[in-house]
Amino acid sequence: MIRKIIFGVWLIALPITASGQANQAPAVVLKDLRGRSIRLDAYKGKIVLLNFWATWCPPCRAEIPDLVKWQRQFRSKGLQVIGITYPPTKLRHVRRFTHAVGVNYPILLGAKKTRALFDSSETMPLTIIIDRDGQVRDRIEGILLPEEFEQKVKPLLDQN
Amino acid sequence: MRKTTSIIAAVAVLLCLTVASAYATTKTATIRVEGMKCDKCSASVTKALKAVDGVQKVDVSFEKGVAIVEYDDQKVTEARLREVINATGFKAVEEKTSSAPSASSEGS
Repeated sequence: MIRKIIFGVWLIALPITASGQANQAPAVVLKDLRGRSIRLDAYKGKIVLLNFWATWCPPCRAEIPDLVKWQRQFRSKGLQVIGITYPPTKLRHVRRFTHAVGVNYPILLGAKKTRALFDSSETMPLTIIIDRDGQVRDRIEGILLPEEFEQKVKPLLDQN
Repeated sequence: MRKTTSIIAAVAVLLCLTVASAYATTKTATIRVEGMKCDKCSASVTKALKAVDGVQKVDVSFEKGVAIVEYDDQKVTEARLREVINATGFKAVEEKTSSAPSASSEGS
């Protein structure tokens, strides 16, 4: 009887554990614009917005001023925006654009396969929301709208 | 007497609301969007337009470079739709409204 109960509990717990592992953000190490290696898991404890973008993508460029604003506004609450761009892109265009807009968060250089680790769609931009435990909480395709930030990111920032 | 007056007032309000909603029309705007060169990026235009109160249907074609939007003109204007498109980083360059009025109740 006890064996049956233990087996039943194990069966119930199994999918929860499995889905927990599936939601864990992949361990990624990428170079930033200065050539320094940055580990994604170094940001554990923060609410990370992993923003896949490109200079050739107009909506990507359009949403970055909002990301800059939110990074400034919610840094003290633990928000960490990280931009990831990947070829085809020219490094000098990335540098010029991020400087012009005043990007106040790390920009990392990835590859298409970096993005594929997080999402199978090809929509640009794409923002992955990662919680303080390193779990992927949501994927936002297209521009991250202010109302989506309010609904999906703010509650995570309010949790300590 | 007071009760009768209240009932008449309530009926009048209801009548006004019904008439107002009957006059609300669904319009269709065909807006040319400049710069939509990638399918992957045009999803933002659809998303931003759908988030606007009063927008009922959105069809964005990056091949044709147009956004066809059905909207309730009591809630949103075509000028506002163009502003929303411009905020996505593209440019709403030309407006060509084919007004297709229909009772809002038909659209919903």
